[in-house]
Order: sequence, then structure tokens, then C-alpha cells
Amino acid sequence: MKERYFSTFQLILLALFAALVVVAKIALRTPIQMPGHSGIFWMAIIIVGAGVVPKFGAASIVGLTSGVLAGFLGMGDFGALNTFLSYTAVGVGTDLALLLLRDPENVIAAALSASLGHTGKFLVKWVLSAMTGAPAGFVALGLARALIGYVVFGAVGGLLGALTLRGLRAAGFFAYLEEKR
Amino acid sequence: MDQNKRILIGIVLLVVIGGAVLGLEVLRRQRVTEGDLEPGSIPIYVDGQFTAAFTPDDLDALEQDSFKDAEEGKTQEGWMLRDVLSLHLSEESLTPQTRIKVISTSRDKLAELTWAEVDNAENMVLFDLSGRGTLKLVSQFDRLDVREEWVQDTDRIEVTSP
Repeated sequence: MKERYFSTFQLILLALFAALVVVAKIALRTPIQMPGHSGIFWMAIIIVGAGVVPKFGAASIVGLTSGVLAGFLGMGDFGALNTFLSYTAVGVGTDLALLLLRDPENVIAAALSASLGHTGKFLVKWVLSAMTGAPAGFVALGLARALIGYVVFGAVGGLLGALTLRGLRAAGFFAYLEEKR
Repeated sequence: MDQNKRILIGIVLLVVIGGAVLGLEVLRRQRVTEGDLEPGSIPIYVDGQFTAAFTPDDLDALEQDSFKDAEEGKTQEGWMLRDVLSLHLSEESLTPQTRIKVISTSRDKLAELTWAEVDNAENMVLFDLSGRGTLKLVSQFDRLDVREEWVQDTDRIEVTSP
């Protein structure tokens, strides 16, 4: 029988990470009032997901699943389609970035991958706003500020994700997974 | 290819994406300029006549307020609609029954309130700057306290005398 690309166990893990992304988005709050600040939490989770299931497409599955969950929960200010596409873009963007940068346990590679992935979300929001004929930003530098927010907070999230992966490795989590296969 | 080269390509990619977005946005801002209005400004019409515009220059004269929305518990922070209107319109033109419509033409949404409702500080009717830099009308007033009722991408304010 042909072996499936993702095992059931890996899919369950990815679904759990997707749920964690949505829970983090709902439950965790920071006093930072800057666009993209929630990237600190969810990029960390997505990088950990991509590290625990080290296959191309893992981050996309987390993004897509969390997008479906968030869309059905009515999250986001701009409607379900915007929410679904932007969450999915985070996953797809992170996967593509990891295709180039490879190792999510390398703090620089993880920070940069998460930054690129989070920028994917920003791009979706920006493209959708341009397509729907939304007005130009009220403050001239508003978009630049938002973009910087997405890049920086994505990078911080990626950094936290890489450190978490290192912590998991040090705690023997990956050896445990290997043993269970 | 070694890891340093990959990281360098990643950084270049990020810079190119950022530069492209900001460059295209500058072009978009130049294209959407309406008359003499600064791009992104919100025109205010009184009884159908263009009277003034809420522009970024006004921000120096306005104070920010904030509240936590009941739906998601997020802090909504920005400039009170009553302060914006008071800055541009005379006191006589704003009676408690004056109707105020805040409109988003791109999203086909509008919120209609009376001046009495807007002027009530407890209602917290304010403009919050969205993540993409446009203004969204938010409030904790019961007819305008959830995202479905908020007016994202606001681009017009209409004031109608009773």
C-alpha cells in the first residue's frame, strides 16, 4: 500500500497546533497596540508545528485548518473570507520560506521564515483591501507601520518557536516521537 | 547553497516584498485622491453639501480614547467621532436630533446615529485605525458594539439636519 504523505498522528498534531493558533488568538492579549502583534503567539506555534512535523506542507495545513476554524468562529474585523485567506497565507508563506531556509530550529532561519510567513498574511489583507476598493490609508505611513509590525512580530514569534523546538529537543520530545514510530 | 546565502536571499525577499507593497500603495494613494483632499481623508457632507474633511492634520488637535470591545476583548483605540465633528462643524449645526451617517462605500456598510448618541461619551463612538491604515468606526453603544455592525474602511460622513 502506498504510504501517505502525512500520517494520521501527524495530521492530529497539526490539527492541535491549528486549534492552538485560534485559542492563542482569542485568549492571549498583549498591551502592544500595533498591527500584527498577535504574530508573536501564532508564528511561534506555526514554527513549532513545522518543526515537529518536518515536512513541506505542515505549516500550510496548520494555517488552512486554523483559517477554517477562525472563519467559522467569526474572528477578524473584515469577514470570514478575509480571515480564512489570511490565516492560510501565514501557513503557505511559512512553508515556502522554510523551503528556502530549511531548519526551523535555527533561530535566524526560523525568525526569517516566520517573518515571511506573517508578511503573507499582511499581503492577503492588503490585496483584498485594494481589490474591494477600500480607501487609501488614513495616515500616510500607516501601511508602512503595519508592515513593520508584521515583520518584527513575526520574527519574534519565529524566534520563540525556534527556542521552543530546541527546548523540546533538549527534553527528549523528538527522541520520544522517533521511539513511537 | 550554504545557510548564510539562504538567509541573505530571505532578507532580500522580505525587503523586495516590502518595497513593492509600499511603492504600489504610494501609486494607489495618488490615483484615489479626490479633488483637493489628502488621500485617505474622510469628507464630511452636511445636508448633501461638502463642508469639510477629517484629515491626518486634525490628529494633532484630537485626543485618543479607548475601550475594550465586549466581543473579543480587544482594545479599540482612536479618535472620538464627536471630537472630529466638533472640530469641523459649528455647535448650531449639531442638535441632539441631527442624524449622522458613517459610510464605507467599498464595503457597502453604514452606521446611522443621532448627535445625542455620538455625543454621549459612554457610547465611545470612535474611529480606530485598522491594521491596514484605514479608519473603522467602532463603539460600545448597543446598536454598534459588534464587528458586524462596525463600519470598516470608512470613507464618508454625512450629517443631516432634522
